[in-house]
Formats: sequence, structure tokens, C-alpha cells
Amino acid sequence: MPNLIYLLLRRLRSPLITLILVYAISMTGYVLIPGEDGNRDPYQMTFFDAFYFVSFMGTTIGFGEIPYEFTQSQRYWTLVCLYATVISWLYGIGSMLSVFQDPAFRQQTKLNRFKRSVARIRQPFYLICGYGETGRRLVRDLANHGILSVVLDSGEVPINELEVNDLAISPLWLKADASNAQMLEIAGIKHEQCKGIISLANDDRVNLTIAIVGQLINNNIRLITRADTKEAESNILSFGANEVINPFETFASRLALALHSPGLYLITEWTTGRRDKQTDNLSLPTNGRWIICGFGDFGRAAYRYLDEVGESICVISSDRHGRDVPSGTIIGRPTEAATLKKAGIDDAIGIIAGTGNDPDNLSVLMTAHELNPNLFRIAHQNEEKNKPMFDAAKLDLVMQRGNLIADKIFALLRTPLLGDFLRIVGRFKKARANELASRMIAVMGDDYPELWEISVMPDQAPALVERLKSSEILIKDLLHDPYDRERKLSTMVLFLKRGDGNAILPEDSRRVKAGDRFLMCGNKVAYQKLQITTRNTGYLEYVLTGKRLPDSWIWRKLMENEKFAERFSQDSS
Amino acid sequence: MRTEKVVFAFFIVLALTLNFGFFLGDFANVAHHNVYELFAAIVVSLIATVLKFGDRTHLGSVFLATSLVADLQLICAALVWGINSQGVGASLDENSLATIISLSGGALLANIISVVLLVSETINLRR
Repeated sequence: MPNLIYLLLRRLRSPLITLILVYAISMTGYVLIPGEDGNRDPYQMTFFDAFYFVSFMGTTIGFGEIPYEFTQSQRYWTLVCLYATVISWLYGIGSMLSVFQDPAFRQQTKLNRFKRSVARIRQPFYLICGYGETGRRLVRDLANHGILSVVLDSGEVPINELEVNDLAISPLWLKADASNAQMLEIAGIKHEQCKGIISLANDDRVNLTIAIVGQLINNNIRLITRADTKEAESNILSFGANEVINPFETFASRLALALHSPGLYLITEWTTGRRDKQTDNLSLPTNGRWIICGFGDFGRAAYRYLDEVGESICVISSDRHGRDVPSGTIIGRPTEAATLKKAGIDDAIGIIAGTGNDPDNLSVLMTAHELNPNLFRIAHQNEEKNKPMFDAAKLDLVMQRGNLIADKIFALLRTPLLGDFLRIVGRFKKARANELASRMIAVMGDDYPELWEISVMPDQAPALVERLKSSEILIKDLLHDPYDRERKLSTMVLFLKRGDGNAILPEDSRRVKAGDRFLMCGNKVAYQKLQITTRNTGYLEYVLTGKRLPDSWIWRKLMENEKFAERFSQDSS
Repeated sequence: MRTEKVVFAFFIVLALTLNFGFFLGDFANVAHHNVYELFAAIVVSLIATVLKFGDRTHLGSVFLATSLVADLQLICAALVWGINSQGVGASLDENSLATIISLSGGALLANIISVVLLVSETINLRR
């Protein structure tokens, strides 16, 4: 900021000097020109009189001829000074305003303000680079859960949108190029409260740069990046990113999962999908013949994954000159019934509309529905604003890139262990995945499950840590209702991280150790009750032993006295 | 030879000489200290300050600081003069004159530092 003031002053140099000179000349004139006082005796204005008069004349306030009425010669001089001072004032004010309006100056002030607010942050926050559809949704989700985000985006429009946000926690933002290391530093990449960087740029090269810069500046930080191509994905992963999310690959691989291992598909969907859905709204595709319309990034990914799980596929592409299309591709417009018929719509099981144009996609699916009402219909929704149309069409599955990434990132941020869990579960055989899915259904009911982490650390589970110092606790001992220990909580442990070791679906009879991190799954009630148990010594004691500890300190001291305790426990029993 | 440098040096040296001229003379004698000279010293000192704006080097900051000190001292001197010469037929008494002169003496010191900096900068300049 200091630099800014001096830069500003330098640009005001000539108006200021003009002003000083005009004042000096005017004042000297008034002091030298002989005047008269009220009795027509000679009176010479002092420097103070002159300065006073010139000051209110120049600023056009005009108190009148002070201290005594002017003589004719003084009035001539006033006439000259009047114009000179007023013009030099206007000149000065005009230059000052133009400096304030200067875009460079405004950018600099914004940067300074941003820098200061970032330095003042005292709560955990995430640094989000890129405020497109994904960024918008992620920032909203984070704000709704009381997590602050700092947003960098080089576009003018998205940032302006942030200026009038109605979020619960207003994010900090700056219009800046996030691949610039200096900007990342200003945005708090080294800030001790910065929990992670999320890079969501449309351009893979920008994401790659952010990953490299982020890794070089602060390699302890959690890094989640989006990538649109397979090459970029592996490249970014090699720079130490924790998670790379490729929207097309993610969606297509889930589709393939849904076909060959429904259990696994359900687990992925439950853990990374949106929280507000119900489990029975989920429809599953069946095996058979598929039609893919459009062979862009999305169509290609879908083709590769479906081909891998051995479905028979027919591709419709409107691009006559496409080179690497699979054999048997039908060239034509998928919106026309004739083309769809040629592709064998009558005996197909499902259709994927994956062109880059939303109305086209919908039109394809409507036509297909008329020809074969039993089709499983999947659409690629390109733009967020078309959501009402896709909702109204009642499709079986809609892939929206922004939402898909945002939901997955949000799940990963809330429960960092989820990434490891999903990677391991992804290698499960069909039968084992189905078994896990049915176990999860048993604890979660009709709603999407609540996922959370329990870290056995003093700040997150103080009662538990304290208790572990004196006794051993098994996992299953904890999973009881803190109000009625006969009842079990509907929750299960998905994953345990102890030091560098992992355990997937640990047995209930394992011992809990300080420093453990558990990934839990269950319903909302279980989540809240488990929080109570791990944080309150009294409830923990009750859950483990059935003894109710007094809440207050005085009562507890009294109970330490054996006689008193004996009488009291007799009373209560 | 650059006009900008000439103007810059001119105002800095002029600020010193005017200040010195005003300071010179008997501490108790009003006749030795011209009020117009004080006024001129203030104006020139203000202009010198504005000329020093916006130089981000270390030397530039010290330049600006010395000038600000001189401005402050001279304006204080002028205020003392103005306030003490108010009233009917009042003229400056010896006490307030001494205050004015010592204030301007302080400003003189600041101006000397400024000129020393100017000279040393010039000497360090490689031709």
C-alpha cells in the first residue's frame, strides 16, 4: 500500500506545484498591495489574512472581502487570482479523480485489500482456482457447511458474480491468473490455515501449472485437480497431486461399473453423490446393446469403458471425416428417426446422447423414446442453465460435468480418507462389493448415507483420547447409543488409517489407538450421537461400562469419596 | 545535462539558501529577519517536497523525509509568527522571535542534509 500512495503523489506532482505557485503568487500580491481599514486608514494585509482570503476564494466558498472591504486595486488583483486559483484547484481535483479511476490503480487497491483479508484469515479455508460451473457449486457447498473459500479466476464475469453473492460465508476473491506463483502466494498457499488447493481451470495446461507451482511452494498441502484428458491426468498425478478428477472418465467408468458390478456402482454413488437424494431413485442399466450418439470426449470415454465390459455398441457420428471412429459407425444425424433405426434402436437396451449440444441431446432421446419406450436413456448435459429441460425430460441418468466434479471434490474434502477407500474398493470382486453394499444399506436406510471421519486426536475426540490412556477400547464398544447403551447405532467403519497402514472394513473387535482415523458411514443420528460419545467423558463412560458419571465437577469430587459413592449408588439402584 | 535535474537541484539549493538567509542575523532583532523571506522559504520548500514525490529508492525516501521535516519546522515558525503578531498594534516580542528563529534553524539543518545527499549522489554518479 505505501508504494501506491507515492505512485499516486508522483502523478499529482504538476497539479500540486501549480497549486503551490498560484497560492504563493496570489498571497504575495495581497500582502504587497496597499489596502484600507474601516476608517480609510492604510492597512497592509498580513500573510495570515492573505492565506485566509485565498483559501476560501480558491475553493469557491467566498466569505466576502475580509478583514476590511477591498480597495479598487485589490479587487483587480482578486479578479486575476480568482480564475487562477479556481482553475488550478479543478486541475488538481481532476487529476486526483483520474488517478483513482485508473484501472491499474484499482487493481492494485483490490490486490492490497485481498492480501490483507487473506492474511487475517483465522479459520481453515480452501483455495479454489477457477470459478466456472464447478467452482460455483463447490463454493456454495463449502459455504453451506461453514467452510471458507478463497477464489482466483482470470475472467471478469465470474468474479463480478461473486461480488453480489448470497452465500452463508462470503468467499474472498480476486481476478487474477492462478497459474502465477506470486498470485497463489498472495491467495494464501503458504497460509497455515490453507487446507488445500482445488484447481478447476478449463485448460489442462493451467491445471498442470497450478499443480507444479503448488507442489513447489508448499508440498504439504492437499491438491485436487481437474483434468479433461488422460495424458494430463497422469502428468498431473506425477507431480504429487492427491486427487485428479477427469469428468468424462469418471462418468464413463461409473457407467461401466453400473453394468458389470452394480454393488460397486452403488457404493461409489452413495459416497460421492449429492447428499439430498434417496436411494430408491437410483435406476440401474442392464446389459445389452448400446447406442452412443456423438463421438467427442464424452462419447469416446463411454465407448472405451463400455467396450471394456463387453457390451455391444453402435456409434452414431455426424462427423463424416472423423478418423478414429470404431468400425460399424453409422454416419448421420442422430436426431433423425431413420438414423436411429439404422443403428438398431428396436433391439437396443440403452442410448447415450453425448453430443456437445444440449437441445440435440434432448431431441435424440425424445425421438429414441418414441421408437423404443423401454430404452435406458443417458444424456450429457453441457450447460448448467439447461437443467430444467433435462429434469422435465425424466431421463434415467444425466451427466453434468460441473456437478459431477463438484460433488466428488466436496466428498473428498469432507472426508479425505474417501479417496483411499474408493481406490481399494474399486478392486473388489463383484460378490464382495455386493456384500459391502448390502451392509451399507442396512445402516443407512433410505437416505444417502452420512459419511464422516473420526480422528482420535485430543482436539476432535478429547474424551476418547483421555480414556485410551488408562484402558483399552474396542471399536464395537463405541458403537452404542449414548442415551441407551442397549441399542446399537446404525453405523459402520468403512476404513481405518493408522500411521502409514490402512485397513479396509476393519473388524469390530479391533482395538482403538490414539492417532487413528476412521472413515464412518451411517445415518445422521448415528453421526451426532457418536460425536457426543467421543467428546464427553460422562457419556463415554456410560457407553463403555454402563455407569453414569455425574456431570458437575463438585458431584464428581464427592463421588470420589468411597462412602458417599456407596450410599449414592445404593440410592439410585 | 537534463532540465529535470536542473530544476530539482535548483529548488533544493534555493530552499537551503532562503532558509539560511532568514536564519542569519541577531536572535533578538526583528529587523534582521524578513517575513517575505520566510514566506518564500516555505513556498520553495513545499515545491521541493512535491518534486521529491514518487521516488521509490531508499535515497528518494530520505530526500522526502528531510523535506517534510523542513516544511514542518518552517510552517510551525510561520504559525508562531502569525499568532504572536495578532492584536492591536502588537509586534513580535523577543521570546516568540527566538522561537521562530530556532525553528527555522532546525529547518536549516534538514535542508543542509538534503543538499549533502544531493551532492553525494552527484559525486557517486558514474559519468
